[in-house]
Amino acid sequence: MTHTQKRIIINKVVMSLSTLSAMIGMTFLFWILGVLVINGIEALNWTTFSEVGAPPGYEESGLKHALIGQLYIVGVAAFAGVPLGILAGTYLSEYGQKSRLAEIIRDVSDIMMSAPSIVIGAFVYAIVVTPMGHFSGWAGSIALTIIMLPIILRTTDDMLRLVPATLREAAFALGAPKYKVILQVVYRGAKVGILTGVLLGVARVAGETAPLLFTSFNDNFLNTDMSEPMASLTVTMYNYATSPYEDWQKLGWAAAFILSMFILGLNIIARVFLMKKRGK
Amino acid sequence: MATIVDIQQEKALEVKNFEFTYAGADLPSIKKLNMPIAKNAITALIGPSGCGKTTLLRSFNRIHDLYPGNKYEGEILFNDKNILSSKEDLINLRIKIGMIFQKPTAFPMSIYDNVAYGMRLQGIKNKTELSNRVEKALQDAAIWKEVKDRLKHDANGLSGGQQQRLCIARAIAVEPEVLLFDEPTSALDPISTAGIEELVVELKERVSIIIVTHNMQQAARVSDYTGFMYLGELIELGRTEEMFVSPREKLTEEYITGKFG
Amino acid sequence: MNQILDKIFAHATKFIALSVLLIVAWIFTTLFEQSLFSLQASGFDFITETLWAPNLEKFGALPAIYGSVVSTFLAMVLAVPIAIGVAIFLSELAPAKLKSPVGVSIELLAAIPSVIYGMWGLFYFVPIVRDIFGGVGISMLSAGIVLSIMILPFMAAVTRDAMNTTPDILKESAYALGGTKWDVIKDVIIPYAKAGIIGSFILALGRAIGETMAVTFVMGNVHKISTDLTQPATSIPVALANEFTEADTQIYYSSLFELSLLLLVISFTIISIAKFYFLRRKRVGA
Repeated sequence: MTHTQKRIIINKVVMSLSTLSAMIGMTFLFWILGVLVINGIEALNWTTFSEVGAPPGYEESGLKHALIGQLYIVGVAAFAGVPLGILAGTYLSEYGQKSRLAEIIRDVSDIMMSAPSIVIGAFVYAIVVTPMGHFSGWAGSIALTIIMLPIILRTTDDMLRLVPATLREAAFALGAPKYKVILQVVYRGAKVGILTGVLLGVARVAGETAPLLFTSFNDNFLNTDMSEPMASLTVTMYNYATSPYEDWQKLGWAAAFILSMFILGLNIIARVFLMKKRGK
Repeated sequence: MATIVDIQQEKALEVKNFEFTYAGADLPSIKKLNMPIAKNAITALIGPSGCGKTTLLRSFNRIHDLYPGNKYEGEILFNDKNILSSKEDLINLRIKIGMIFQKPTAFPMSIYDNVAYGMRLQGIKNKTELSNRVEKALQDAAIWKEVKDRLKHDANGLSGGQQQRLCIARAIAVEPEVLLFDEPTSALDPISTAGIEELVVELKERVSIIIVTHNMQQAARVSDYTGFMYLGELIELGRTEEMFVSPREKLTEEYITGKFG
Repeated sequence: MNQILDKIFAHATKFIALSVLLIVAWIFTTLFEQSLFSLQASGFDFITETLWAPNLEKFGALPAIYGSVVSTFLAMVLAVPIAIGVAIFLSELAPAKLKSPVGVSIELLAAIPSVIYGMWGLFYFVPIVRDIFGGVGISMLSAGIVLSIMILPFMAAVTRDAMNTTPDILKESAYALGGTKWDVIKDVIIPYAKAGIIGSFILALGRAIGETMAVTFVMGNVHKISTDLTQPATSIPVALANEFTEADTQIYYSSLFELSLLLLVISFTIISIAKFYFLRRKRVGA
């Protein structure tokens, strides 16, 4: 066998292995998605949305408390994290630029994006839960805000820097002060990009479970008071899934399904935005 | 019909009724093209951008096959065999027909390993043979003196002109029969360009050369034959010294006198 | 008026940007303060002691550290080759029709929260591990496998992106010398994209070691060092997730905070190595 024949055979073997690993990867991934959709749709019905969690064995059991809690916790986190992240990103792109300080903030934010979220939970426990004396929705929101901040900050920074310098110069040439140039020209130019970053940031924190375990904790009843422990879809899902009761596990799947669809939906919308932007 | 000069010497390649269509395109980029390529001579392909000269060049080693959906029709004869046949062994074809690209393409490895790469692909493992042939290739590419003390250094540390010579050394190290040059000096400064041109002329002793260039002076300086292509067709193939003085086709004349292009 | 507003805007944005650094510093100091009690009580023994018995007020973190290291190692060993395979498939092999749908679904799967992977692992994968390898299924092995599946999409996507940075012309020149696909991949693409590929693997490692939910479901939280992978085990994040709300003594709390601090330091270090050594940030527009 010549060397070239050997190379051709090795090539075929490696390429088959590569295709095989792609198939293995896809199998697992479709398996997970399939399980999610089948169990989720089976578990979903009207009471899932209209009722709060009931003890095992009760027919009328749902996720209303968790859905509303989730909305509150993530909503408050986004309400704080989005503007803060955008303003911080604005500083990096428009003022700090390539200064030492801006670079350090970028690096630290990048690291924070991959840092373990459970540690953020521990931190918020120490600074919020302990002084308050009990778990609360606020504590959960604060943990999620801290996680969201670097994500929004970095995408805003990147997206603002994509706005051409000539656009800024043209606005300055008309005599506009810098903050007006930023608010009225730069933001407008980067609108789609920032929106994409916001969607991805919200999607990311919406799936967080670990930092909520000991901040917002859980509540089996409907609660809209942020200063009390609050249910979230993720923690509820964890508690129900690890319970020994079949009807609770079923609710867990319903929660998993709703959560995944929400997060995938946000990701798909963000992608469509980005594609449109690139298409322009 | 194209005006094609009669080539008396042996032919390295013979293009017959060749058509090429890019994936997804409705119309062919090269239409019914016939063209002989002389052996141990330099054939330059000139023409305005988009005329199909690079497309034709890239058909000779079937590098188009890397991208699915491209379609060949007709024949390209090489050693009496149609290389467009679906049974053609592309690996052997590419060993026999080498290629130099628009930009230097030093691989992320040492200077020595770059030159030895093609030989190693062919299974040559003997260290003395390898280093002899590496040295010879580098000498033939007129770069030996500059790199002989740093053969183990990363090839990306060389200048653009040196890298392009290195790529030529890498290509000739496997002793191909034909070398394809795709605008090899378009990324280089005038001095490096002159050096590469000189080298190309020296190489024709051993290999048949086809060079695509957007620079008519370059074609006039280095080539024996020049083919002028326009809109996917070969308009004229002639001896270079004749064609630049008295082109037979009106289009050729307009192009070389700068009326379009 | 405009000048004042200009100054306010500039300072406000700067202050908020700085707050990122303040928060990170605050996290480190808070965790350190909270760990002090445990640090003073057990000192260096904390990371070498194998007994974790809250009822006896003994807190040795070695089993959790061991579990973190082994489960992450298992996950990497399983995920790296498959991720490379998937990346090769996506960047060099897949027909155009498959490239984009497979690529996009892999990226979307990287966005699915880890809690979902954990839940799937508990209900669908743990029974399989139990049937094949024996034991109760809840084990180090299950944790490693579920973790590997969770990091696979991220790793495959970034590896593909790194491989895609190889210029076409460089690949073409290797093919032009008679290389096969595999020759081109191993001799040109992988060496060219090496830093990016290794960097993304280390980044994935840094994420995996801090991953909580994917493993909490399937690991069991048993503070015991066992070489038998089919036995339940624990890891730093798993211990935190399970025990934080149960801690009832000051030393218990403080020990958990020390675990958090340890985890933060470990992942910060790993992520920094990935970032500063391998992944120099690509500037927009540069």
